[in-house]
Amino acid sequence: MRINLEILESAYVYHHREIEELNTKELVPNMMTRRRLTRAAKIAIYLADKVSFLNGRIIYGSSFGELSATANILNSINSKESISPTHFQNSVYNTAVSYLSMLSNNKNEILTISSGDNTSLNILKSGAIKALDGDTLLLLAIETLNIDKIEEVNSCIDALECGVALKVRFTEKEAIINYDNIKNLDNTPKSLSHMLNIAKNIHMDKPNIIEVIL
Amino acid sequence: MKINNKVFITTTSSISCAGDNDKTLFANICDGNSGIKQDKNYFFEEQPAIGKLSSSDAFHDALILQCQNILEQSKLENFNDTLLIIGSSVGGMNATEEIYFKTQNYKDIDPNFHHINAIANILNGEFDFYHDISFSTACTSSANAIGYAYEVLSKGIYKNALVVGVDSLSKITVGGFLALGVLSSEPCKPFDVARDGMNVAEAIACLLLETEPPENAVEVCGVGYSSDAYHMTHPHPDGKGAISAMSRALKSASITPEQIEYINAHGTGTIANDRAEANAIATLFPNQPYVSSTKSITGHTLGAAGALEAIISCMVLKEQKYPKNTFLDIPENINLNLPLMSQESEINYVLSNSFAFGGNNCSLVFGKSK
Repeated sequence: MRINLEILESAYVYHHREIEELNTKELVPNMMTRRRLTRAAKIAIYLADKVSFLNGRIIYGSSFGELSATANILNSINSKESISPTHFQNSVYNTAVSYLSMLSNNKNEILTISSGDNTSLNILKSGAIKALDGDTLLLLAIETLNIDKIEEVNSCIDALECGVALKVRFTEKEAIINYDNIKNLDNTPKSLSHMLNIAKNIHMDKPNIIEVIL
Repeated sequence: MKINNKVFITTTSSISCAGDNDKTLFANICDGNSGIKQDKNYFFEEQPAIGKLSSSDAFHDALILQCQNILEQSKLENFNDTLLIIGSSVGGMNATEEIYFKTQNYKDIDPNFHHINAIANILNGEFDFYHDISFSTACTSSANAIGYAYEVLSKGIYKNALVVGVDSLSKITVGGFLALGVLSSEPCKPFDVARDGMNVAEAIACLLLETEPPENAVEVCGVGYSSDAYHMTHPHPDGKGAISAMSRALKSASITPEQIEYINAHGTGTIANDRAEANAIATLFPNQPYVSSTKSITGHTLGAAGALEAIISCMVLKEQKYPKNTFLDIPENINLNLPLMSQESEINYVLSNSFAFGGNNCSLVFGKSK
């Protein structure tokens, strides 16, 4: 089965260590809230703003989730220190998009997918199936791998922080973008490849329609 | 898109601290035999009551065994046309912990067996699935997986779907909930005025969903999702997010609140969850259907809870018997109908609630096959 999606807006960011300009101070004026945000949450808030997505269903995905919070807890246990409740609550995979929902008062369905290297492909597939209901959805994929000693386990990803957002809706118009030849752009995480390739091939002067093969 | 196909749960298989098969699980729930025990293996200074698997099989082997059970009990010869849908909150964290605490570094950790997709990777090594997808929304993970299975089958996208709700206990999980101060040292007492917290537990719960029902199959009638947009770990005190999820599930099933005869509550035993959920149920169901939490017997199996409690809901509909609230003494909310005895009763529709960190809510409606 094939479902076509029109990409209404798109945005992406990546950096080999830490993305600097996320505009968090302006987007999250409350300091206490801002201090609790994970890196992925800050990227999610930035990208949602970039594609002007205020309210509606969100399909989010991350292969490795909140790695920094998890590593902090592991280190606390290892050194027999107390576990921070904030680190624990921030360690679940749906953390980033939960903060986004709180800050935008978005009470709609919000799903989190984690399918390894196929994460962004599965976001596209589930997003396409959900879009058949007729609404506009935000598809969002983020990896934040910038933790101490990540080089012990990572030898192939250069962009340790990376995020991509596509605002989409179902269309019956003909597809003009395909993702047959997905490249691993600038050694970004493979888990984001499908959505990143699409976001990089967007031309805002014409309709951007992709065919999602299920 | 118009939703056409009816969706049925045709085969189930589970293992938890309350039993290594569905019948034992349901018997223990109805009889009040809890699988929760104090444990000092995780943190010596604290002895929370938790739920470990009842089998001595390694978790990895138990996971494969549950899926083999599904194949043997169903009409399927293989999973070649099956969409595998995983719901898990920790994935391969247990394996990561073992390596990290032994070697004190990340060098020997295989990323493919660290993340949530580790579960799918294990199962793809044993079976051939058409396609797989994994959801991780903390304690609603496998409820969302069932909701997704319902959607894709009713829309005619896939032929059948195997939902696997799975979570094993790890030091991060037990230690994290201890840090939040929500673990009880006794089997939990959901909805009781004297409740003092929850019991984390592990489980594997598998459900095969198909559009062609065998006799006595249970129908998945509807799903409702919502977000609290309120707090990372606390629900809105009035249960606004829960009301929204339950209302959407009823609308999706095209039934009224009066048609629900039993609610399997999320009912963790924490002060905040039970108060909010009780308020939500009392608001939406003035007709007072039977409500019970089965977590005093199974513990809170986190990402597996939605799938395990879907199996319990199936057993309620098949056995026509609602389970009691074990260990409930004095209810906090007197507007709920919280049975103290398990009883046979005519039950046509069951609603099952799952709520999670981040204010993620999912309610499912199950019906007796007609």
